[in-house]
Amino acid sequence: MAHTMSAKPETAPYRAGFSPAGSLAEKRREAFARFEELGFPTRRDEAWRFTNLRPLQDKAFAPGTATPGAPPALEPYFFAGETHRIVLVNGHFTPALSKIGGLPKGVTLGSAAEIAARQPALAERLLDRTDLVGGQAFASLNAALFADGFVLALDPGVALEKPVEIVYWGDAAERSFHLRNLIQLGAGSRATIIESYAGSGHYWTNAVTLVDVASRAALRQAKLQHEANDAIHFGQVRASIAADARYESFVLTLGGRLSRHDSFATFAGEGAACGLFGAYLLKGEQEATNATFVDHAVPKCATSEVFKGVVDERAHGVFLGKIAVRPQAQKTDAHQLNKNLLLSARANVDTKPELEILADDVKCSHGATVGDLDENALFYLAARGIPADEARRMLIEAFAADAIDCIEDDTTLRAHLLKHVQRWLGRED
Amino acid sequence: MLEIKNLHAKIAEGREILKGIDLAVKAGEVHAIMGPNGSGKSTLAGVLSGKPGYEVTEGSVTYQGKDLLALAADERAREGVFLAFQYPVEIPGVNNMYFLRAALNAVRRHRCEPELDAGQFLKAVRAKLKELEIGDDLLQRGVNVGFSGGEKKRNEIFQMAMLEPKLALLDETDSGLDIDALRLVAGGVNKLRAPDRAMILITHYQRLLDYVEPDKVHVLSGGKIVMSGDKSLAAELEKRGYAMLADAAA
Repeated sequence: MAHTMSAKPETAPYRAGFSPAGSLAEKRREAFARFEELGFPTRRDEAWRFTNLRPLQDKAFAPGTATPGAPPALEPYFFAGETHRIVLVNGHFTPALSKIGGLPKGVTLGSAAEIAARQPALAERLLDRTDLVGGQAFASLNAALFADGFVLALDPGVALEKPVEIVYWGDAAERSFHLRNLIQLGAGSRATIIESYAGSGHYWTNAVTLVDVASRAALRQAKLQHEANDAIHFGQVRASIAADARYESFVLTLGGRLSRHDSFATFAGEGAACGLFGAYLLKGEQEATNATFVDHAVPKCATSEVFKGVVDERAHGVFLGKIAVRPQAQKTDAHQLNKNLLLSARANVDTKPELEILADDVKCSHGATVGDLDENALFYLAARGIPADEARRMLIEAFAADAIDCIEDDTTLRAHLLKHVQRWLGRED
Repeated sequence: MLEIKNLHAKIAEGREILKGIDLAVKAGEVHAIMGPNGSGKSTLAGVLSGKPGYEVTEGSVTYQGKDLLALAADERAREGVFLAFQYPVEIPGVNNMYFLRAALNAVRRHRCEPELDAGQFLKAVRAKLKELEIGDDLLQRGVNVGFSGGEKKRNEIFQMAMLEPKLALLDETDSGLDIDALRLVAGGVNKLRAPDRAMILITHYQRLLDYVEPDKVHVLSGGKIVMSGDKSLAAELEKRGYAMLADAAA
């Protein structure tokens, strides 16, 4: 135990070969200095006390390079339905596998590296200093090393009907893929984005997505993390939500040996809403953390959070949810719920819902549960002839589907997420 | 069909509830088991259906020549034993149709019959609803979720009709029903009476027996069957109350 407590990966190996060039070089150097100053977190850091970074300590993961190889089989991860698709392989935009298609006027979508080279304003935003928030060394390292990512920018009033689909594939052994993405929705615009992370072998994904939702705009973002069993995945989203806008995300965590998703959401204007939903289904020796931080910095905003965890075998699931309501944020409506199913005696869950309320006229609630499958329901299903393993699958699926059902008015997306839950359960129609 | 001999059972790590039950039910018969609260009615239903939490300490239960107690609850169900629950369980997130199709196909696989696809299943459902004269309003909801007491019992009868059991145990199916719901449930039970099917109605009150005429009536008290007779026994119990058991014992 003393050994894991002291686990702290070295920063030095990441300096080897770090020689930024181009217009962003100076910002990358600054970010790298921040990364070195912060160092990797340890379990002494409150936000990381449940996370064992041992898999990162064992070796350094040099940044992946664009490698022309056999095209990966991505079909199992594709969304059923028409999309504007971007594929990034080993951290690099891969035009041959992408299918952006015709975009409506007022929509920019493409490789972050290409767009940043053309549009200095977007490059500026892509590398701003928000990765200082939360002392996130991973975000600083990402800013220093990122090769590519995607940018989606919508002019005011534009409604993008087809979803944007981003498929990230990693298969370069012992490499790290630093992806930096930017989503900017102009006032009153609307988009849905579906991200899938998958791969093969032992690699490390480190993704940062910056999100600006201008007033009255609405963004729905779904992330399916089904990385390779042996992979490490860190992903974070930093969303700024303007007046009367809506940001909604669903994070489905299924893959990876060690993974963590951080959502940071800040309300920048009144009357805005944020929905953070997710489900994590873990087995083997997987360890996964879902961390959320919602900053109610202005009055009259609403947050709804539902995360459901299914943890089997020797896996470890962690939920860290913080909602801060600042003194001026009156009429805040914030609710947070984390429910877990523990399916084995050796499985483990840590859940830490947290409300920090400094305003007095608010409606807030939070709750967390850790439990087993309902014995009465299992018997009811058995009494109808349903075999025990099938009955368990039905109840687990229903448990996870309860979180998926938080996504309103999008049956295709719900079905897509449910399909991957069913795949995890070994049940496919 | 069913032969219970000297059945003793207790609540796991608790007291003995059944203290030597003997009962034989033939195919085509409908038996009513009546008794006051705490007499062991629900324990008997639980033990026969394989509900966890009970321990059989003595005796045997033979069903169609097999040792029923050696089978797990789901195996018993696939062998044709059906328990209509006193308190049907709410299962949020599991659609009623999806659940019933899984159940029916599990039973069909066991009987070496082909599974029904969604279309065939829907057709079978429609036919059965028509036969039982009940609506389709419950089908697309979560299993028993938010159902009224009457709707839950109606759902139980509907499941019984779909699964076509050989032995149906109805545990207080009549309790808490208004007269319309009771009629509907009783009508379903009557339609499902068949020469190759046995039914055991477990009930506290006689009123279900106004609508379903049993072949035999048994009175359970203190974990034993203390009286058996034809349907007139139920009427006598209704008139004199369970106090007559004490009179008879005296």
